[in-house]
Amino acid sequence: MSNRNLFFAATILLISISLTWWLQARQAQPVGMTPTVTGQVEYCLTCHADLEEISAAHPLQTYGCVICHGGERLALDADLAHSSLRGGNNPSDLSVVEQSCGDGDCHNGAASAERDHIQRVMTSLQATYAGAIANVRYTFSAQPDLTPLFGTVEVSDNSLPSQTGILHLDAFDPSAENNPFLKTFGTNCLTCHLNSQPAEDSQGHRFSGCSACHSPAENNQSGFIHTLTTAIPYSQCSACHNRGNYDLRTMTFVERTDQPVTRLESYYQPIGQFTQCEYTLDCVDCHTRSEAMGDGDIHANQKDFEYVQCQTCHGTPSELPLTKTLTGLDDLAIRLVLLNPVVDLKLGDTILVTEQGEPLWNTRILADGTYEMIGKATRQQFSFKPVMGSACTQSGQDQSSAYCHECHVVER
Amino acid sequence: MSAFSRRNFLKLTGQGLLAGSGILGLGIIIRFLGFQTEAPRPTEFDLGLSSDYPVGSRTYLPDVPTVLIHDQAGFTALSLTCTHLGCTLEQKAGIFSCPCHGSRFDENGKVLHGPATKALTVLMIEPNDLGHVILFLEG
Amino acid sequence: MRPNFFEHIHPPTIPTAQARWRYTLGAGGTAVFLVLVLVVTGALEMFYYIPTTGEAALSVQTISYLVPFGGLVRNLHFWSAQLLLIVSAVHLVRVVFTGAYIPPRRFNYLLGLGLFVLAILLDFTGYVLRWDTGIQWALVVGTNLVKTIPWIGELLYRTLVGGTTPGSATLVRFYTWHVFGLMLLAAILTTWHVFRVRRDGGIAVPPPGERGDRERISRSGLVRTEILAMLFSGSALLLLSAVSPAPIAPAITEITTLSGQAIAPWFFLWVQQMLKWGDPFTWGILVPLIILVVIALVPYIFPRPAKQDLGSWFPKSNRLAQIVLAGIALAITVLTIMELIPVS
Repeated sequence: MSNRNLFFAATILLISISLTWWLQARQAQPVGMTPTVTGQVEYCLTCHADLEEISAAHPLQTYGCVICHGGERLALDADLAHSSLRGGNNPSDLSVVEQSCGDGDCHNGAASAERDHIQRVMTSLQATYAGAIANVRYTFSAQPDLTPLFGTVEVSDNSLPSQTGILHLDAFDPSAENNPFLKTFGTNCLTCHLNSQPAEDSQGHRFSGCSACHSPAENNQSGFIHTLTTAIPYSQCSACHNRGNYDLRTMTFVERTDQPVTRLESYYQPIGQFTQCEYTLDCVDCHTRSEAMGDGDIHANQKDFEYVQCQTCHGTPSELPLTKTLTGLDDLAIRLVLLNPVVDLKLGDTILVTEQGEPLWNTRILADGTYEMIGKATRQQFSFKPVMGSACTQSGQDQSSAYCHECHVVER
Repeated sequence: MSAFSRRNFLKLTGQGLLAGSGILGLGIIIRFLGFQTEAPRPTEFDLGLSSDYPVGSRTYLPDVPTVLIHDQAGFTALSLTCTHLGCTLEQKAGIFSCPCHGSRFDENGKVLHGPATKALTVLMIEPNDLGHVILFLEG
Repeated sequence: MRPNFFEHIHPPTIPTAQARWRYTLGAGGTAVFLVLVLVVTGALEMFYYIPTTGEAALSVQTISYLVPFGGLVRNLHFWSAQLLLIVSAVHLVRVVFTGAYIPPRRFNYLLGLGLFVLAILLDFTGYVLRWDTGIQWALVVGTNLVKTIPWIGELLYRTLVGGTTPGSATLVRFYTWHVFGLMLLAAILTTWHVFRVRRDGGIAVPPPGERGDRERISRSGLVRTEILAMLFSGSALLLLSAVSPAPIAPAITEITTLSGQAIAPWFFLWVQQMLKWGDPFTWGILVPLIILVVIALVPYIFPRPAKQDLGSWFPKSNRLAQIVLAGIALAITVLTIMELIPVS
């Protein structure tokens, strides 16, 4: 009898051990990858092998996944592996961006080396929304003037000197406001800045943080997007811009009601006036790095730092636009072109620069004196001539867009 | 014939099953202990621009360890790992000597004094398309 | 027929009553088996575990996910540890509820209780070795509780933690306690405890004159019974380890913030509940210590069961001891459940 029991027990043990061997064989083979920057092996590829490279400037073999996304690099259980992801599915959210996109001196380095993107973005108007908040509070007598006091989150300007003198913004708290209009403003109107998620019913898909612009949705896709690019089409900017108008009396946002089909119809709101450039090019082809990402100071009004005008590229009847010849490999324009091969700039080429010295690296001055621009997102090639020597009769003083529109406006 | 009863069969089979479990268990332990946590040592070394090593130069590179020789015939490299039991050789007055058991090699890697018996391994060098010298350790 | 080693370390024959499952539940023997599994799996884990604050959690993840059968070894170690506490508690309850602690077994009862405390400490130190966000607050609370002890609290804390706050020195010390210090004590006490069982006449049964059942089983029969128990326990352990993994959490880093609630290890949930009621020293150290002392004094202060009542459950003669122990077990269980119920 006891022999039978032993036989029975031995059988069960053998089955149990065989079960463990079977389970081990079923386990997915771990796929390790050691990025050259970190030197530490990570096993994300065990499950995520079919993910495409996020960008040519961030190759997987160099950076890996963990340096940006965080996460537990050795875990093969999804819950544990993803438990310490920075920012959930978006490591560029401004609450975690300093560790994800910063991490040493990747994108939070020295301003002199043009590597201070994060500091500039976090103090930029698109992130702080300081102007809208200040204007609305001033309108409803919650503050005596238009000096910005609040931003969407608390932020400080640590990169002195500051041209605006505003060194700090507190976090705007609608519930602490007395005026009911301001409370409603807090409820209805805070969905279009880099710290927010888009409204529930909004058309465009947009992440928060850096990815709001640099991870554009193609063809209205939503959900999973794994791209980083500077070839940002206008449609991504339209996730926030050109959507409609505010109504302060009802404290609502009134979306545009037209049903645009072509680029010409969709680019701007029906009330907008614009020239051919302004709808054929994408926003990023004219608006510079410091205009879009901030210049490092806390501003309250976009007029203070949006400075690109028609004359920046076209010049005036009496002056040619500013240019620069590229001489060093560490020139910002060369570095940008190497990472974003839109034009094939070489040393010795001459490009247009803005009044503040920012390089327009998708332009080039050809040998015959004409200018060339390649659309960053569309790759369309445009050639154009400066205004000087043309039939333009505009006075050199009147250079705001309204004056150019008088002759050059496009009919929708 | 009848000496082998059912009780013995059960006992024998039971012991056989236990032995099977034992072998599987031993297999588990062996596979468990066989895992390598460290990445294997790199077998390729980028030694930099070939222009850094002019003709006629002999460059001692302790990281590999190797001595990189650039002569009329091109690039070669001698491994400076003693062929006896693997210590790294020291360089003294044109002779490579081993601090562990006293082996000595001449500047071409030939054994001058034992206990080593094999000459120093010649390592493969290839230039890459950026003009760098790449060294390969043979497995 | 010369007995082999395993048969030789058993007495030539023992009363069959001593070996019955329905009497002993096999609890003591299963506890020894679980200790053996713990030692083997623990030794295997030592080939990969790294006791530094930067590498500990990563090495645990390496074992769990990357080493072949590493997950199995870790799960076996975890489950045998938790089951050891439960089986030891069952064994303690069995001993009291069958009156098997009367002289000359009173000292062995204390040895066993000491082993129980050692098992809890081993479980806690092993838990801390994970060095992940799941253990972080238990470590802080546990070490700070030690600090509340009057006069010697600060000294004890410094000895335990190796610094002013839990850090890399703490991890090394807990590792040393777990793998060597406590293990050595447990080995000595286990050997002594098992030796005393034999010296005190084997598992408690009525003395020979008053025994109703005179049957005896041979040493080979006894060994075969033990092997049977080990095979079944081993299979159960393997199956449990295959389906239910040991807990794991992200590594502790400098910027770790606590997410959600901090939960004590299951065997201290009852203490976590009591600590909500007031002074930490009273509820965290004193009350558990008092409970331990009461249990330790069971053979000394309560009416003793008569010798002829041994060998069966619920003897009338030590009713009071049974009731007290049952009350303590019930209280601890209720406190544990209270801690698990989320507070609205």
